[in-house]
Amino acid sequence: MTTDEIYWGVDCGSSEIKVVALDTQGTILLKRKQKTLFPLQDHVRHALSGEEGDLSPFVTDDSDEIKSGHKIVATGYGRKYISFAHDALTEIKAHFIGVQNQLELNKAYSIIDIGGQDSKIISIDHEKVDQFIINRKCAAGTGAYIEELGHRLEVPLGDMTSLASGNDKELSLNSYCTVFSGQEVIKVLMNGERVENIIYALYSSVVKRVMEMTSITTDIVAFSGGVLRFHPKLVEMFTEKLSEANPNIKTMLAPNAQYCGAIGAAVHGQTA
Amino acid sequence: MANVMKDYFLDLDAAHKNPARKVAWCTSVGPAEILRAMGFEVFFPENHGAMLGATRVCMDTIPVANASGYSPEICSYLTSDVGAYIKGITPLTKAFGIEEVPRPDVLVYNTNQCKDVMHWFEYYAKEFDCPIFGIHPPTNVPGIRQEYIDDVAQQFKDLIAFLEPIIGASMDPERLKETVALSLEATNLWSDVLNMAQTTPSPLTFFDGTIYMGPIVVLRGTQIAVDYYKDLLAKLKQKVTDCHAAVKQESKRIYWDGMPVWGRLRALSNTFEENKACVVASTYCNSWVFSDFNPENPLTSMAEAYIKIFINRNDQYKEDYIESMVKDFKIDGVIFLAARTCPNNSNAYYNLPRKLKGKGIPTITIDGDLCDLRCYSDEQATTLIEAFLETI
Repeated sequence: MTTDEIYWGVDCGSSEIKVVALDTQGTILLKRKQKTLFPLQDHVRHALSGEEGDLSPFVTDDSDEIKSGHKIVATGYGRKYISFAHDALTEIKAHFIGVQNQLELNKAYSIIDIGGQDSKIISIDHEKVDQFIINRKCAAGTGAYIEELGHRLEVPLGDMTSLASGNDKELSLNSYCTVFSGQEVIKVLMNGERVENIIYALYSSVVKRVMEMTSITTDIVAFSGGVLRFHPKLVEMFTEKLSEANPNIKTMLAPNAQYCGAIGAAVHGQTA
Repeated sequence: MANVMKDYFLDLDAAHKNPARKVAWCTSVGPAEILRAMGFEVFFPENHGAMLGATRVCMDTIPVANASGYSPEICSYLTSDVGAYIKGITPLTKAFGIEEVPRPDVLVYNTNQCKDVMHWFEYYAKEFDCPIFGIHPPTNVPGIRQEYIDDVAQQFKDLIAFLEPIIGASMDPERLKETVALSLEATNLWSDVLNMAQTTPSPLTFFDGTIYMGPIVVLRGTQIAVDYYKDLLAKLKQKVTDCHAAVKQESKRIYWDGMPVWGRLRALSNTFEENKACVVASTYCNSWVFSDFNPENPLTSMAEAYIKIFINRNDQYKEDYIESMVKDFKIDGVIFLAARTCPNNSNAYYNLPRKLKGKGIPTITIDGDLCDLRCYSDEQATTLIEAFLETI
């Protein structure tokens, strides 16, 4: 191993491509993200290259040849479509490695990860993935669900947390289906309901859809993924819900939560 | 294999065109032996449903059935097949040049697997103005009681009495014994074929099994099925001798519970192969092992065998069965397919995966369907399978 080695992790998610580069000590040299666009490989290439003069794994701007000492590992739904990646692993393993790398937990714990098109619960025991589950029905409980309803309500995603914190009522959105949930939202809007209460109900629905996937039996829960990073109220509501079932629960948002998958991929590149 | 199935369908087509020959439609775990012993040529609509699924023609026919009042939530074999009938198409045309499925002279179903087959056959009884007979055994039984066997054996006798006027002759008891003897021999050979996968590395996969199983489904009670499985068994034994692995560098051995995803057999097979994992055993392929057949007591032994099928058993039986398969086939993990339109054959719904997990057997559940690809996500299934293989 030489000090020139750089490990790149690329998380090709449904909404965004996330890239990180680590040095041999595991220090994060850079983080980049961009919207997921197609052809995917071209945009992954762009995300890895950055702007002119940035650190890049490519020998030249117009070739896919990778510099000596650089290693690229891909994860996420697009992981198999990146021909210049040296290796690929699923987002389950990548998120686990990424969260573990960031938090260095040595006890049994669970990860709740909410991404653009899926939500996952991963349980970790003895520093290995013991069990995992991914949402099975529609987009309810994922970032796409929040985006769609935010769009219908004409509420910017960044305003949602403060709006939800201003609720004075606990409404329910019940449907598994994003479209039918939209209809529920329209109905309460027509009845003159405050948008704060609707956003709270939307968050509450996400919490319910995720928590009903499986029972969490660990005393520690780590959150990862972009949705939880950018919706702090959701983290708070998850914590409240988890505390109802287990008063000893300890929750934490992983540092670099949105990049945990990419970090996991890069760390995998270091160790594989 | 291709010739065995081709000859079977061409002969059915010939029977359909010959007024002197009678065609019976039968459910896949129905009393085919009785029908064959009475001289019927037997067509299995579920096999046709699987062909519609494997060819993905079903994605054009299911919506037709849905639009005709058959819900997207019910058996997609039914909706695939009924939709194909309404559209006037069949995959038999492209595969064997057969214009249409052979019309039935009688319809015989058995609700040992589900009630959807009853609705399905009743549809055709009305369409073709055709006589229909249903066997209704006790369902979801923990164990087999003598009164269950007596009940179903009596229903078989009633069926024979129902069929005799249709063929204009009485059942020949000797022919029934011969037919059951042939079924027993074929089913034992089929069991031997599947058990070859107990070898490490396995010479066959579940995906091979879904192709090899054709004759045990549609040709039970014939010498053709016996000969086919004798030949197949010999070939697999040779593969074992030659250390020929179905999956190169087999490193993980998987059990598949539930239906195959017919329209994605190739893709799923490739996913496992790329990950050096071999699906060595399944509930599905083993569902055509009827070791209780006894030619000396054809009706009572058939009654017992057809009540005893896995799908017709209680939760504890299913748990014990899969646990024993895990041991016998040296399984590293169990994949449950939760088929949206086939709850009866989806064993993930009542907490079985977690019970097995509690016994140290890793499990994962994939959502999908036997035919309806609207209920299946390639990306999600691949991610789940690969992540599962990464963790076990």
